[in-house]
Amino acid sequence: MVVARPLSSPVYGIVRPVYLFFVLCFLLSPSRSFAENRYLDALLAASHEKNLSQNRTWQVLLHYQQKHGRWESLIDDPRFFLAPDGKTNPDGELDSTLTAFFSEEQQRREHPRCRFVARYAWLKEQLGIDESKLPHIECAEFKEAFSRINARSAVLVFPAAHINGPASMFGHTLVRVDSENRTGLLSQAVTYAANVTDTNGLLFVFKGLFGYYHGYFTVLPYYNKVAEYNDIEQRDIWEYRLSLTPEEVQRMMLHAWEVRDIYSDYYFFDENCAYDLLLMLDTARPSLHLTDRFRQDSFGFWVIPVDTIRTVRDAGIVTDETYRPSLATRIRAIASDMSKDDQNTAINVSRGKTSAAEVLNAGKTREAKIRVLDLSAELLQYEYARKEIPKEEYLKRFLPALNARSGLGPQDENAYPITPPAPPEQGHLPSKAGIAAGYRTDSWFTEVSWRAAYHDLLDPDPGFTEGAQINFMDIRARYFFKEDSLKLWQARLIDIVSLAPRSQFFSPISWKVNFGLDRELLADNEDHLVFRLNPGGGFAWQSAAAGIAYAMAEADLNLSGALKQNYALGFGLSAGLLKQVTAAWKIHVSASALFYELGDEHQRFKAELAQSYAVSRRANLTLSLSREKSFDLYRTDAVFAWNVYLH
Amino acid sequence: MKRLLAVAVVVLVLGATGVAFGAARDNVGCGFGTLLFKDSANNSTLLQSVQFTLNALFGNATFGITSGTSECKTPSKFVSNKELNEFVVANMDNLAKDMARGKGETLEAFAELLQVPQMDRPAFYQKMQANFAAVFTSDKVVLADVVDNSVTVSAR
Repeated sequence: MVVARPLSSPVYGIVRPVYLFFVLCFLLSPSRSFAENRYLDALLAASHEKNLSQNRTWQVLLHYQQKHGRWESLIDDPRFFLAPDGKTNPDGELDSTLTAFFSEEQQRREHPRCRFVARYAWLKEQLGIDESKLPHIECAEFKEAFSRINARSAVLVFPAAHINGPASMFGHTLVRVDSENRTGLLSQAVTYAANVTDTNGLLFVFKGLFGYYHGYFTVLPYYNKVAEYNDIEQRDIWEYRLSLTPEEVQRMMLHAWEVRDIYSDYYFFDENCAYDLLLMLDTARPSLHLTDRFRQDSFGFWVIPVDTIRTVRDAGIVTDETYRPSLATRIRAIASDMSKDDQNTAINVSRGKTSAAEVLNAGKTREAKIRVLDLSAELLQYEYARKEIPKEEYLKRFLPALNARSGLGPQDENAYPITPPAPPEQGHLPSKAGIAAGYRTDSWFTEVSWRAAYHDLLDPDPGFTEGAQINFMDIRARYFFKEDSLKLWQARLIDIVSLAPRSQFFSPISWKVNFGLDRELLADNEDHLVFRLNPGGGFAWQSAAAGIAYAMAEADLNLSGALKQNYALGFGLSAGLLKQVTAAWKIHVSASALFYELGDEHQRFKAELAQSYAVSRRANLTLSLSREKSFDLYRTDAVFAWNVYLH
Repeated sequence: MKRLLAVAVVVLVLGATGVAFGAARDNVGCGFGTLLFKDSANNSTLLQSVQFTLNALFGNATFGITSGTSECKTPSKFVSNKELNEFVVANMDNLAKDMARGKGETLEAFAELLQVPQMDRPAFYQKMQANFAAVFTSDKVVLADVVDNSVTVSAR
């Protein structure tokens, strides 16, 4: 009877090791009663009748997605499934789950009912499971963790890009779960991230792109994440409170418990932190369909974390947002109201040139002394976090500065006000399409362009970091009327520019890298497609009147059959000025001189004036004019374009 | 499309020599200067351009607090509280900064973990600021001292 049941069940076509295991349990445990088996059979029958394995909640809890007409779980860890083919068999997995709830095995570390708590809670509710008819199980470890976290509400957290890392625009999202009456710092953060152990950059990229890393959900104190983003990476954090009920948040935490230590293959582009976090939120309220919405809204081949904020906002569950400024932002805020002299005193304290005691004895107002000491403490933390000063020096100056500060007493409640910038989800959409009309030395043309993502120096800045450009897949084609020819004009795969202004507090390096196909004017007086790799580095400065000015040293490698020896390698300089003239109008003036000394020897000089005018949040106009000299040949290029932001 | 992009990124990294990527590591201790450093944070910008959303994980994937204070001496005056100890160890620098100013979120969280009643908090903050030197007695101060000194000071 006992042996016959699983085999005769219509769901199981084959005998699987897990059943043999249960059979063994039955044989070994005399307490497994006839009544229990009857009850299990009844539950299995009820679950089939209610078609629970096709229920939305079951699909969400198991991370099932429809792929080519069949269901497959995104989770790759076999330990997550109780049926051997559970990854692709929702029905079998449900039957095995119910069966496992009855097991009395003590061999495994965790009983399935203690491990798969979200599945158990849901099935119990759906089938009205009478726990007294199941073997008695204590889940002490789970109960302790669950009551300690005591989840009541949830907040979606998005760390914005840091100033000199345009790639961090892609950000990261996590969910914070709050308990009652506690400051957010003490909450727990649920985050999905890849477990990276490689130190080889190439291996890291390869593995990341093709899913060789394992992604895990982790729960850890939120203060660790705040320290990581705000204090170390200098990224502002946006927090979006969600209107999920305490029951829904607890359901999500039940699921967080069952997926802990469970891996999924991590893909940088699509199965990344952003996507998996939406899955997590779906477990709180499966009817939200966040992942489905996301698949419809988004662009398909990758997932950008800021898009998850839009998806969650569109689902109508964001109640309010708060802004948590980074250490660097706080430094700017404190310094903004100080005299130059006081700023320099603070820098001197942080560098050990002036002692905190000297600040106290100086003939300044109490208010000014407070500002100087507060700023120097922040600067010390900043420099230490950036490893610009060793720990010993940091400690030697940090504590005396605080000690001196404490003697000056309390300050106004809102001493260093910070006006939050536009939140990231209010920025323009990442992909862009455009049509243009233009002229290039003696021929008129029309141009179509398309960019997959993300932000150009001339795109509107609200919601983004000013001076940070990251373009992926920027493709242009031109049709020349005179020659009646259609030409691929540009196919840049990556085009990054990071203009990070230097100040007396911060001294970052600005940099750029540009990689892909470009048209270049070569010796035969024709524009040829060349493959280009063009990195550069330099400095940038910012002032309210002039905008951002920069200068960079560059290298440029060109490969093309039209070049002598098929290549040219040059070095040179570039400089420019980027200025937001009005809220809608932006100007970028630039010039470059490159000297190709290897391969096809030549020089190239170029000057350009580019402007953009934001017509609306969805569209802008650009006008760019340039003049260049290459191989002693000249070209003038003018393009007037209308661009629309999509997706 | 994705494959093309992937190849592009790989070639980009090939072109950039000497890109080293350090895995996340904890800089643990019981006193000041305990920061969770990530080597990838600001150093290798080129790598960052391909890092996208990937954030390295600290330590093992476990549920709950992972920073650990096992090697630290525990406070004697307050009933041993794992959460408090780990909070102080991970936030000592920010706690000191908040105490010196007599306000701040880290100080609020500290008061909460010490179970200071809401109504007594303003007085607690004021005492902490006024007696800063008695709490953070030196730059060698460790977890146990900070908690014990705070309890002593708040009873004054």
